[in-house]
Amino acid sequence: MLLKGKNAVITGCLKGIGRSTLDAFSKNGANVWACCQEKTDEFESHITQLQNDNGVWIKPLYFDFLDESELKTAVKQIHRDKLAIDALINIAGITKDSLFQMVSMSDMKRIFEVNLFAQILFSQYITKMMLKNRSGSIVFISSISGLDGNIGQLSYSSSKAAIVGAIKTLSAELGPQGIRVNAVAPGVIDTEMTKGVSGGSLEKLIGSSALKKIGHPSEIANANLFLASDLASYITGQIIRVDGGIR
Amino acid sequence: MDNSKKYLAAFAESLDVDEKVLNDDLAYEGIPEWDSIGHMGIIAALEEAFDIMMETDDILNLSTFAKGKEILSSNYEIEF
Repeated sequence: MLLKGKNAVITGCLKGIGRSTLDAFSKNGANVWACCQEKTDEFESHITQLQNDNGVWIKPLYFDFLDESELKTAVKQIHRDKLAIDALINIAGITKDSLFQMVSMSDMKRIFEVNLFAQILFSQYITKMMLKNRSGSIVFISSISGLDGNIGQLSYSSSKAAIVGAIKTLSAELGPQGIRVNAVAPGVIDTEMTKGVSGGSLEKLIGSSALKKIGHPSEIANANLFLASDLASYITGQIIRVDGGIR
Repeated sequence: MDNSKKYLAAFAESLDVDEKVLNDDLAYEGIPEWDSIGHMGIIAALEEAFDIMMETDDILNLSTFAKGKEILSSNYEIEF
């Protein structure tokens, strides 16, 4: 168990990579504040099952990342628990694909609000709690789209490229305080988000990968798990591609 | 411990300086220990000591030892 007795905050837990990360962390002994936008019976049952199976606690926090007051309320709930925070995994994200000339500024701003600004604000608050213990690991989800670009994904790839700049700076600022900051850059992963991408670009990307297959959310979760754990104790400021070898 | 003493102790411990160094006129970057990293240490110590969660604007505005007390007093109902 890589995270036995550790406490983690994970955003975007309802489905996809966030759900898989929640599962992986729980199975590895971590207690989790599980942040999601909406409450569902299925999710509530799922976390009850995870708690029973793994002997950990999971506290769901339901809030809209775009609502600063809701975000602060969620942080206050975490703060009130007065527990050390060992890891923050920023997964919540959105996309809306359009070719450059069709990109609406309001959509682009919304994508940046969720994929960058809200995550930075949330991280500011959580990091303050980590600073008390002078240790912690923060993981952001970037994307190969942010590293390599992808036709039709101007807004998404720009927001994910911004994450790269953010983790480079944060790792330098927070390293002396014992806090590591890294990013995972997934390739094509089998989630609802990628199902919405049209135009054959995903098939092309998969075809260009060494492994010639789509990734599973658990394969990103495992990278998150590694970076959160002490196995990655000397790794900071890095972007780890988990993409099946896309060239 | 009264709030003034708690405030003083939070500053002194987080900056790892003698309490005698601290006075109302002491400003951010006024001593080597109160740099940007020291500042975040002060915030963490104040949040811990007074069981509060400070807003980003307040963190930015905490520019002097005296100003910090003013912020805690006006925005967090902490009396000095």
